[in-house]
Amino acid sequence: MPDTPNDRIETFYEVMRAQGISRRSFMKYCTLTATALGLGPAFVPKIAHAMETKPRTPVIWLHGLECTCCSESFIRSGHPLAKDVILSMISLDYDELLMAPSGLAAQAVLEETIAKYKGNYILAVEGNPPLNEDGMFCISGGKPFVDKLKRVAKDAKAIIAWGACASYGCVQAASPNPTQATPIHKVITDKPIIKVPGCPPIAEVMTGVITYMVTFDRMPALDRQGRPLMFYSQRIHDKCYRRPHFDAGQFVENWDDEGARKGYCLYKVGCKGPTTYNACSTVRWNEGVSFPIQSGHGCIGCSEDGFWDQGSFYDRVTDITKFGVEANADRVGLAAAGVVGGAVAAHAALSALRRAQQKAVGQSNAAKAAKEEA
Amino acid sequence: MLETPNGYMMDKSGRRIVIDPVTRIEGHMRCEINVDEDGVIRNAVSTGTMWRGLEVILKGRDPRDAWAFTERICGVCTGTHALTSVRAVEDALGIAIPENANSIRNIMQLNLQIHDHIVHFYHLHALDWVNPVNALRADPKATSELQQMVSPAHPLSSPGYFRDVQNRLKKFVESGQLGIFKNGYWDNPAYRLPPEADLMATTHYLEALDLQREVAKIHTIFGGKNPHPNWLVGGVPCPINMDGVGATGAINMERLNLASSIIDKCIEFNNNVYIPDVIAIGNFYRTWLHGGGLSSQACLAYGDIPENANDFSAGQLHLPRGAIINGDLSQVHDVDPRDPEQVQEFVDHSWYTYGQPGRGLHPWDGISEAQYVLGPNAKGTRTDIKELDEAAKYSWIKAPRWRGHAMEVGPLARYVVGYAKGHEDIKDQVDGLLRTMNLPLEAVFSTLGRTAARALESEYCGRLQKYFFDKLVANIRNGDTHTANVEKWDPKTWPKEAKGVGMTEAPRGALGHWIRIKDGRIENYQCVVPTTWNGSPRDLQGNIGAFEASLMNTPMERPDEPVEVLRTLHSFDPCLACSTHVMSPDGDELTTVRVR
Amino acid sequence: MNVHSDPEPGGDLATPFHKAGTHKQTSVYVYEAPVRIWHWINAFAILVLCVTGYFIGRPLPSFTGAEATYQFFFGYLRFVHFAAGMVLTVGFFGRLYWAFVGNHHARQLFTFPFWSRPFWTEVWFEIRWYLFMAKEPRKYEGHNPLAQLAMFFFITVATVFMIITGFALYAEGQGQGHWMYRAFGWVIPLAGNSLDVHMLHRMGMWAIVVFVIVHIYVAVREDIMSRQSIISTMVSGHRTFKDDRPD
Repeated sequence: MPDTPNDRIETFYEVMRAQGISRRSFMKYCTLTATALGLGPAFVPKIAHAMETKPRTPVIWLHGLECTCCSESFIRSGHPLAKDVILSMISLDYDELLMAPSGLAAQAVLEETIAKYKGNYILAVEGNPPLNEDGMFCISGGKPFVDKLKRVAKDAKAIIAWGACASYGCVQAASPNPTQATPIHKVITDKPIIKVPGCPPIAEVMTGVITYMVTFDRMPALDRQGRPLMFYSQRIHDKCYRRPHFDAGQFVENWDDEGARKGYCLYKVGCKGPTTYNACSTVRWNEGVSFPIQSGHGCIGCSEDGFWDQGSFYDRVTDITKFGVEANADRVGLAAAGVVGGAVAAHAALSALRRAQQKAVGQSNAAKAAKEEA
Repeated sequence: MLETPNGYMMDKSGRRIVIDPVTRIEGHMRCEINVDEDGVIRNAVSTGTMWRGLEVILKGRDPRDAWAFTERICGVCTGTHALTSVRAVEDALGIAIPENANSIRNIMQLNLQIHDHIVHFYHLHALDWVNPVNALRADPKATSELQQMVSPAHPLSSPGYFRDVQNRLKKFVESGQLGIFKNGYWDNPAYRLPPEADLMATTHYLEALDLQREVAKIHTIFGGKNPHPNWLVGGVPCPINMDGVGATGAINMERLNLASSIIDKCIEFNNNVYIPDVIAIGNFYRTWLHGGGLSSQACLAYGDIPENANDFSAGQLHLPRGAIINGDLSQVHDVDPRDPEQVQEFVDHSWYTYGQPGRGLHPWDGISEAQYVLGPNAKGTRTDIKELDEAAKYSWIKAPRWRGHAMEVGPLARYVVGYAKGHEDIKDQVDGLLRTMNLPLEAVFSTLGRTAARALESEYCGRLQKYFFDKLVANIRNGDTHTANVEKWDPKTWPKEAKGVGMTEAPRGALGHWIRIKDGRIENYQCVVPTTWNGSPRDLQGNIGAFEASLMNTPMERPDEPVEVLRTLHSFDPCLACSTHVMSPDGDELTTVRVR
Repeated sequence: MNVHSDPEPGGDLATPFHKAGTHKQTSVYVYEAPVRIWHWINAFAILVLCVTGYFIGRPLPSFTGAEATYQFFFGYLRFVHFAAGMVLTVGFFGRLYWAFVGNHHARQLFTFPFWSRPFWTEVWFEIRWYLFMAKEPRKYEGHNPLAQLAMFFFITVATVFMIITGFALYAEGQGQGHWMYRAFGWVIPLAGNSLDVHMLHRMGMWAIVVFVIVHIYVAVREDIMSRQSIISTMVSGHRTFKDDRPD
């Protein structure tokens, strides 16, 4: 068995040929890939070339405080299939969820990968490090996970933050964040990080991001928050198939009502689609079977920063827990308007009374003066 | 040498071996063992190495949101925590869900069982039995014959098919980039399969990877996505509209057909691939019957899959409820999660404090405070642990006990309880399997038994899934399309204070959520999850938990290559993100308690 | 008798907060036509924005008259909101322009003499007047100091806040890459996320609603009880005084 990858590296094209796939089918695949990534036909030969010649990029996939939903989502990918990604597109050298060895043998793989591919591997992080209790709320190899994260990040070529945990902190970072779970960009400050938020992200979005990186050998274009524009540049609402009902003013008023059965807009039962950047309404879930809104439940905004702490998932106008007040904007606003309105009324009454008094005094003074004159 | 109250001889004089991280599990786990000069495990220490504090986070939130938070406890058994949570809230508030919601929830829960069991067996567990490198030496023709012998109905069985897979593997291995297979213990004699069986199983690893994608789509149909589908207090969020205006936006004929086709695929895979594989692999390992642990002594199941909506009485559940203690299979005890004497959690060996030693608390009355301290005999430092001291605190997992007993939960526990209760389907399956493999009943109490019970359960759940699908269709045919009860949706309709409990059988075992609601907000929330039971550290009396018990007395081929340890730990399908949790700091008694 | 008193003797420096002075007069031209027109357009825009905004956040019961494609009720509601927002914005910048080219009263809205002790004394006097602690109000050509403070924070600052948050939200609809998103998109991550911006925008609405209540009440009250005209001034532009007594 050759020792270094450069001795004999199987390219994606070779893998496909070995499976009995013709050149023609291979080119067709490249066209489909280009289309799936939203690229024009000019990119087809480029993709083909990349897949014919590139060795598989080593990937180290770390798990911090998480629930493994990102990995579970990843293996749901329909195009490309998860098995093709793992066997042919990347080299998943370290992933505690799937790797065969444990303990020392596993640790050895990590060390070897870091040493061998210094500056050339992609670090994918699922979950985040807790910082309280010296980081020992998440222990790996007897040491704080955060140490491992920093160590692997140091020599990585690029870093992917899978899901809401790594990107924003997610549920364990929800108030009061007892473990001080911290998104990875706050502990890795010297490397570009691609955020792929969502709880979890859509499978094809995950594989789309990683195949984009190995295919074009570059980072995808990112938005202000570090999310790939190709999947996170629009809100779910912008491309929601129920949008016409929103514009028409046709809403689900309560669960299982007439509107729900007709597929009206879920805005009034708390759908966060209008404020959530994700590809759910277009790429949809599990090979396009459905997405939350299609199945009758509003979006809970799982790809947005801090979505756990914005009131109930069924609220329209969000709770302002940020100010430490247990009331929403409308309640505070109405209360303020009510108090001011009441104060105004009282003030008006008092003013009228004062004025009447002054008038009376003025009149009696005038009368007095007139009397005196007389 | 020390004997535990639950009957294990612990001897930590031998060589200490540390396995950290334990891979191919959900979450973070560490295991330390002592082996004697013959390489037999004489002491086992299992440690949960993560804590997220979700129950602290839940305090003060809207109970209708709790499902979404608890669902994120685990993305592998996705949905089961959500179901448990909505049941707890409905129990507290006295909300009755419609029949259709019960059927749809059952279908989703059963679907999870199947999905989780398949993914567990092929992608997390198989590499403990199967050697993919050895598969390179297989003869594709012989593999094809093996396949046709063990499962004549499976269509993917031609020599060419296996040759293609083998070639692909070959290319993969020759590339030098071994990925997830790197540094596996491939030359360890603990692997006993012939190359042909290895190739067949490796091929099914890939087939199962494709299939699980399909299986999960049931969640997507009814819950909008997977992982982490959406749920609803009071029913299910997906409305049914079979033939009215706008039916395309609801559960309609097309959706039902899609669900039906997936249900058929589950049944087919269970029958043609999963069960035959377990039997085939099991046959090669039929003499390796270690790892029984507590399964023959103490098993617990809450039961699940209610036949009718809102009826959780033991007789109405398709998955059995009951407890077995002291190895007495003739008596199945009733389980009542509300009884403060039954389920209790202890923290004497966990990184929490209750203020006084030996104190056990029912989940409704839990208090907790993290206390990360290592014992005096631990080696290393606070942030660089070399060896733990199991005489002191050593895990982020608490120690739940049922009437003081450490219990095993999970598919095997369910099957043991079901078998002891005379559950017909379960008895038929178990007896049938034992007959096929020509093994005695005692063989069930083993690592392999746990793995087999999971496969049998997947098959049973496949049938149940079809049953509830048909029931759903029949109910719709009878004109009932209700999916949600919104009478008590508005918090204004709730009592000032309430408490409830929700129970399910998660893929990994008995799962309970206990909730207290006050003024429309969560006052206290507590989950006692399967891996808390199985992975529990010791209690004050020294009782060891299921993980530790199952490792005891297992001989290892090569102590430095923990194939056998992984095999047995994996047979529980550990889920560490689930198990490591904490109660809310406030456990004040409610002055008025309303229980439905 | 209408006497133009502009430029006022002493100029801005002498009476930084535009006290009416002690000279005898009964009418001053205060609000020039663009200011008056802006005021009423702005008032109308705010009314429309508040009403439509309220119902965008808290929609009316569903209209099920027609298929969604042929019904655009909520869309029109939002359109009206956006249109009014554009009017408000253009008006605001027009008003800002006028602060430079108009008379000195036109500048009152955008600044107040923070470092001036007499100003704060006058504010304190006005507070006492509203608390019925002063017997007689003083005369002002423009805004009284308290009103000036309120105007600055509830009109100028609040409007800027609403324009920025409003355009940030509108820009989300325009999409990333649109100039508006490049100009205002920074607001979203600064606030947290889009939902936070929605919430802040709504809080802003309520602040303005509260101001409007007070503003209308005080205008009416002062019209009756103070020594100068108020409401008619915003129509005619002339401030008339009810007596010739000095302050």
